[in-house]
Amino acid sequence: MAKFQRKIAVTGLGLVTPVGNDVDSTWSALLAGKSGAAPISNFDASGFSTTFGAEVKGFDPESAIPNRKLLKFASKSHRFALAAAAQALADAGIAPTEADSHRWGLAVGAGMLSVDYEDLRVVHRHAAADGNFNADGLMDPAFPGNPLAFCRWQANAGQALLTKQFGIRGYASSVHTACASGGQAIGTALKVMRRGQCDRMLAGGFDSMLNPLGISGFCLLGALSTDNDNPTGASRPFDLTRNGFVLGEGAGFLVLEDWHAAVARGAKIYAELAGDGNSLSAYRITDSPPDGNGPIQAIRQALGDAGITAGEVDYVNAHGTSTQMNDRSECAALKAVFADRIGEVRVSSTKSSMGHLIAAAGAVEAAVCCLAIRDGVAPVNANYGTPDPDCDVNLVLGEPGKGKIRAALSNSLGFGGSNSSLVFRNPEEVSA
Amino acid sequence: MSDPRDPIVFTGSGIVCGAGGSVAEVWEKLSSGETAVRIFTQFDPTKWPVQVASEVLLSDRELVSDRKLHKTISRTDMFGIYASEQALANSGLPAHRDALPEADQAAWNDRTGLVVGTGGGNYKSNYDFLPLMTEAEASPDGALPHFGRELGNLVTPMWLLRNLPNNVLCHVGIRGQYKGTNACITNQCSSGILAVAEAAFLIENGEGDRLAAVGHDSPFEPEMVYYYHKLGLMSGAAPRPFDALRDGTVFGEGSAALVLEKESEAIARGAPILGEFLGFGCCNEATGIVDLADDGNGVSRAIEEALGNAGISKSDVDLICAHGNGNRASDLTEGLGIQRVFGSAIPQVTAFKWCYGHLIAASGIADLVMTLEAMKRGVVPAIATLGELDPAMGSLPVSRGTSVSAGAIALVLCRGFGGMNVAMLVRGR
Repeated sequence: MAKFQRKIAVTGLGLVTPVGNDVDSTWSALLAGKSGAAPISNFDASGFSTTFGAEVKGFDPESAIPNRKLLKFASKSHRFALAAAAQALADAGIAPTEADSHRWGLAVGAGMLSVDYEDLRVVHRHAAADGNFNADGLMDPAFPGNPLAFCRWQANAGQALLTKQFGIRGYASSVHTACASGGQAIGTALKVMRRGQCDRMLAGGFDSMLNPLGISGFCLLGALSTDNDNPTGASRPFDLTRNGFVLGEGAGFLVLEDWHAAVARGAKIYAELAGDGNSLSAYRITDSPPDGNGPIQAIRQALGDAGITAGEVDYVNAHGTSTQMNDRSECAALKAVFADRIGEVRVSSTKSSMGHLIAAAGAVEAAVCCLAIRDGVAPVNANYGTPDPDCDVNLVLGEPGKGKIRAALSNSLGFGGSNSSLVFRNPEEVSA
Repeated sequence: MSDPRDPIVFTGSGIVCGAGGSVAEVWEKLSSGETAVRIFTQFDPTKWPVQVASEVLLSDRELVSDRKLHKTISRTDMFGIYASEQALANSGLPAHRDALPEADQAAWNDRTGLVVGTGGGNYKSNYDFLPLMTEAEASPDGALPHFGRELGNLVTPMWLLRNLPNNVLCHVGIRGQYKGTNACITNQCSSGILAVAEAAFLIENGEGDRLAAVGHDSPFEPEMVYYYHKLGLMSGAAPRPFDALRDGTVFGEGSAALVLEKESEAIARGAPILGEFLGFGCCNEATGIVDLADDGNGVSRAIEEALGNAGISKSDVDLICAHGNGNRASDLTEGLGIQRVFGSAIPQVTAFKWCYGHLIAASGIADLVMTLEAMKRGVVPAIATLGELDPAMGSLPVSRGTSVSAGAIALVLCRGFGGMNVAMLVRGR
């Protein structure tokens, strides 16, 4: 029996995603299985092996975050984070005050540091015109080093901007386990709250790698779908013909509160954040274990941590990246955990609509699980056409899957074999 | 917070930094007052306003003997793997596991975890794109289209993997088959010390039976020196924490690691016990990326939180290992925070960055490793570079000699960008 038993409620959600810049628009797009993928518009991607992605559209940072001074320090992904966090706090109807700010905490899944192409060009021009870096070029008085860019580039710059903007003065941390980062951040927040270090927390993830250097890493690795003539159909998790993921961007945030405090103030409770599990596959850096060994332990830990059995899970928001290996490995894990109930548990990967939001994915998908529980409906696994015998799970196809969700499981499985699973419980199932 | 009937203990430590490749080597430098801050060699210092750092002198082969791995990891990862595996070996855990019946080893591995704190990335990694950029800039069909088209011909397919922030977590896991609960913290300076705290709580809550906590970083690189200097944060010599004339910090690089488990398990397998985790506090100042609160309130709140978490009183603290990075504002506000908590009864204060520089993400855990060593030996190293104590520090009892007893309980402080303040309390053994 775990020592720390405090019950934690989700009372606010905020989303900025490729299919919508708030919770309502994102949720309705996911229920309809609408794709956010399109040819990349923010830079000339015509030469890259993948020329499309799932970009956030029509996002206006200044109307979302009326703090121009702070925005100067904010990269694109930080702006998504500030906007989604503001939405989540507004949705929860509560925010840190002078009196309780030290009991508020923050845990974020932050993206990999990727320098802007234009910033690297400046270094190139002054210190590496011939292609070889020469440090003395930075000492050239003409080198226009930009301390603002340096600040934006700090590993915890997002954490710093969020704590400042919202006046959070308790525990704060940034985590990064590649594609599992968002899930791990929410798991971290759960642990911090359970041990009594904070009473309320903002937890989420943010990322934007849809820039020349960001997308380069994935192109080099051959991880992205190259269906350049069919962006909207490219992300097809669990389909036999899947051929890589679609790179997305955005942010998702949850407001977490002590359950009893939330009930006492009459807060709307989406779900109980009931359990967190994480494991290392300790297999290979890029490959997923074909038998699901690794993800299995994370899922079982999360269920055990939530104090429920596999029999109570009605919906799985899969990691489902649409790569051959991930989807096969994840299905093997689901089949091992759910055994003869595998045909009853609704499964979908919302990456089929939103693409893969990398460090934000787990946080956005955690919010999706909360919405699914609230409405008793599972979003669709879009773009599915050809069955894969290795992925014969009960996918939500065509129409959203209606029916009460007692508990939902969200998986995030990262490069390097970091696996994170979260369990959310329907408030009706939670005894106070 | 640690249950006094079966506390969380440290059973192995490891370190690599400019001052050496083992706890004993670093202790030798630290206790003899010898700084490992030197003229740097990784690039030509001649034209630079800052010419010193504390570089790791071990070769890649000495750090990680498997040469195949060198292609898929970066310098900071080598430090992390080296220190982690040193700490694990010192704890005797791998040998203990290998002696278990084979049928029990998988379950043991599932209960053995890792928490890593890392800098999260560096500028240098992007220099792999520079030759391609030279070609692209000269291309008649536009720089970016050329860049995209020729990417695979001029940049290694391993580029992304080499730069994954969670590499140490994954490679130590793969090499040792540790498959349990884990995390990778990328919170700048506070990453490594946060890793220790999270590992302790994971054991306390029963989520894992034994964990290695690791911090690693390689902040020393030209662009980092350039920007830290531009922001007025760099000294031209070994840092002088709390000195009236202190003028900045100096980069180190490296890694430190600790193995944590329950005392009962450590005793059962006859493991060495280096110390005990007592409690932890973490407070943000909400001041943005690089600014500090003028009054050091984050420091004092973190100390108070740690004392409460440990269930001890401030008079129980015998020794403070300060963050003491040598920056004017940071040391001043740290001193104010310490004074606010301890009033006129301040325990002995020391700091170690004068010796091995600022390891950024690994700094707090390196200080913790060396504090545990000081407690074990019953000796507090002096701040060897200290000349005249800054009068603004009041009566801060800063360590000047190396002969004073360390006592039983130490407080380790770690501060960082993003308004971070972490305080950790440990009992020496």
